[in-house]
Amino acid sequence: MAKTFPKLVFWGLHAWVLAYVGVLLGAFTIQFVEGEFPCPLCMLQRYGMILSTLGALWVIMQARRGDLTPVRYMQGMGLGVLGAAAGALVSVRQILLHIKPGDPGYGSAVMGYHLYTWALITFYIVVLFVAVLSILAPVGIPEAPKSSGALTLSSIVVWVFVILVAANVIAIIFLEGFAWVLPDDPTSYNLIDQITGG
Amino acid sequence: MDIIILALLLTTAILMVRGAPRKWILTSWIVAFVLMLALFRYHVTSPLDLSF
Repeated sequence: MAKTFPKLVFWGLHAWVLAYVGVLLGAFTIQFVEGEFPCPLCMLQRYGMILSTLGALWVIMQARRGDLTPVRYMQGMGLGVLGAAAGALVSVRQILLHIKPGDPGYGSAVMGYHLYTWALITFYIVVLFVAVLSILAPVGIPEAPKSSGALTLSSIVVWVFVILVAANVIAIIFLEGFAWVLPDDPTSYNLIDQITGG
Repeated sequence: MDIIILALLLTTAILMVRGAPRKWILTSWIVAFVLMLALFRYHVTSPLDLSF
């Protein structure tokens, strides 16, 4: 168990990254397949998710290099919680904006909840996950596996996340265009409108 | 502003993957975090119309 647990934590951090990759891909699906434009608060929640995941990514990369110390592990977890707390702040604001009876909410609901409600649930899960990892830290400082197959799998997870963040950069360039901030209720891609004069 | 924040987040991720010095990684993360909060403050334009 003493040898197994650090590896379990290592893969648990990958599950954290993969979970947010799934959530961000879901947001992309709603944006590009269903044609719903993300509002400024929606984008801010994505930033919270990415900030939070960067905490896990930092720990993973240091564990892979073999220079992860308990202090750096806690620093990474702190980044994860801070990112989740910032994202939750935005989620709560958006939930309260639409909490009155009869308000249809912003965008479409998924399994009964709007995306900002789901976002708050994910931020809460991150906080709980980090709490459990922190309690178990004396026996569970993440340790990377030695096998090349496992390291390749880890690299794939890491790069999928990085590519997804890069895709978000491209998407926001099209959404925001030459404006300083997003409009409150976007209905088109600003960059295309600005270039074509639409 | 959103473009700057996301570009910073991408930069932070790449710095982490490439094993850049910790001070650069933390600085980039913190700047993105502060800008995100500032942008949130910018978008909060009115008090909530709620009474409990």
